[in-house]
Amino acid sequence: MNLLLSFGQTVQGYWNTIATAIQDFFSQMTFFINVGKTLEKYYGFFLEGTKNTLIIAFFTVLLGTILGVLMAMAKLSGFKPLKWLATAYIEFFRGTPLLVQLMFIFYGLPMIGVKFPDVSFIPDFQRFAAGIVAMSLNSCAYVAEIIRSGIQAVDGGQMEAARSLGFTRGQAMRMVVLPQAVKNILPALGNEFVTIIKESSIVSVIGIADLMYRTNGVKAKNYKTLECLFIAAMIYFIMTFIGGRLIALMERRMNRGRK
Amino acid sequence: MDANNREIIRVEGLTKCFGRLKVLDNISISFREHEVVSVIGPSGGGKSTFLRCLNLLETPTSGSIFFDGTDICQKKVNINRYRERMGMVFQQFNLFNNMNVMQNLTAAPIKIKRMEPAKAAAKAEELLKRVGLLDKATAYPAQLSGGQKQRIAIVRALMMNPEVMLFDEPTSALDPEMIGEVLEVMKRLAEEGMTMIVVTHEMRFAREVSSRTLFLDGGHVEEDRPSHDLFNSPQSPRLISFLQKVGITAQFGGTSGDVFSAICGMQIPRFTSSKPSEFSFASDEKSIRRPTTSFVRRCLKTPISARTHAAVRGKGVLF
Repeated sequence: MNLLLSFGQTVQGYWNTIATAIQDFFSQMTFFINVGKTLEKYYGFFLEGTKNTLIIAFFTVLLGTILGVLMAMAKLSGFKPLKWLATAYIEFFRGTPLLVQLMFIFYGLPMIGVKFPDVSFIPDFQRFAAGIVAMSLNSCAYVAEIIRSGIQAVDGGQMEAARSLGFTRGQAMRMVVLPQAVKNILPALGNEFVTIIKESSIVSVIGIADLMYRTNGVKAKNYKTLECLFIAAMIYFIMTFIGGRLIALMERRMNRGRK
Repeated sequence: MDANNREIIRVEGLTKCFGRLKVLDNISISFREHEVVSVIGPSGGGKSTFLRCLNLLETPTSGSIFFDGTDICQKKVNINRYRERMGMVFQQFNLFNNMNVMQNLTAAPIKIKRMEPAKAAAKAEELLKRVGLLDKATAYPAQLSGGQKQRIAIVRALMMNPEVMLFDEPTSALDPEMIGEVLEVMKRLAEEGMTMIVVTHEMRFAREVSSRTLFLDGGHVEEDRPSHDLFNSPQSPRLISFLQKVGITAQFGGTSGDVFSAICGMQIPRFTSSKPSEFSFASDEKSIRRPTTSFVRRCLKTPISARTHAAVRGKGVLF
């Protein structure tokens, strides 16, 4: 009798697990159904947001890399004041949160009278400019460190050999050190680019209509928080995934024919 | 031949400190053209630092270095022009990894001496042929062995037609079987009359190829004599103990702490030179006495092991 009872309990236990699993699956189905509905209704918003995110990321990468190269040269130069300034800049921008820097620039720049000209295809350019400037200044510090560490990772003997042949420091850098440093720099730089795409979400707090801002807007309209966030996450993932693949392709092309 | 040649490098009062550590202490010495000078000494004695100061890879703390009459330590001197005239070969080869062998060799002449690329390539090919590496002209350094890399490094320095060649422990990073090929190139260079200053641990090279040997220890030039004199009758006690540690132990294959070398050091004033290699120099020395097995047994008053037995007979002992 007891045996029968325990057997029955085991069966009931299994049945409960199966039933719960089926219930979970159906509730997820609801979730996915809602995702589909939201996308269907609000895809325009998400598209607009993605477009703005990509614009911000692109210009940040462009400006950040250019400034980063200059900053790295300043930090590696022999001229002491320049070196000190570059170090201070990098320490500050790596040591404070991007959010703080963003607000500083957005609220602070108009106070000192810096106004950006209006551009036709981007509404509310003031905010955009502030967002791009803040992110560029921040990314410049990281890029400078990446470049500097890539250069210093090249064996010191290369520079010594070049100098002992009679090359100047500049010639040695251009012909021997920098080509080898590029191989060290590229993976980390690729990482930085992917990070910028994700970091750009922070500009939503000053009202730039990027993907996160739009997501919040849609969420406010249909109260489906998780579904909207899921859509936003998927879109970010697609962007970073494509970016990562492109970087990997470029790295492979660089290494081709060397080993 | 020596006294008539012009003085090419003169060092006066060279001192180099790294922080509080004084590595070179008031060294004054001069080198003439066509001299082949070996610099030997214990680690930390300042040999490599001394060599690197000669082409200002290390800036001396004080003192002057006169290259062909000009003090290159002065600020207004364009050191790059003088470095062109001094070739340097490094322990770690330091070939440019992003260029192939031909580009390594021709980069400096084309860029600095403004040689035409065709002329530079022809000269590179000729030099490669002389060291027997013409087939590696398009290879990258990563594809070469250590001995090949070092020979290419020597050729790279020679492409600039230097007046002096500086060698910083050129064979220390090489496997034993590759040391011979590099020493062969250096020996031929010496025979052709190149002025060479070689920091080395290869005592056979120092004794048989170089005309003059310096012993550097503790930042001072302890001894500075013609090679044969220095190795056959060392005078300073530090040099004697250094040669015991390097010369004898290399022959008998033991560590410097063993009883064997202590006995030999005390009893035998002369010793043979370093480890066996297929690379042989002509030697004009009388045959050197080595301690016999019976002698050693008498000294130790104990039966000796097979290992010691083999070592006494001069067979190479690998640990």
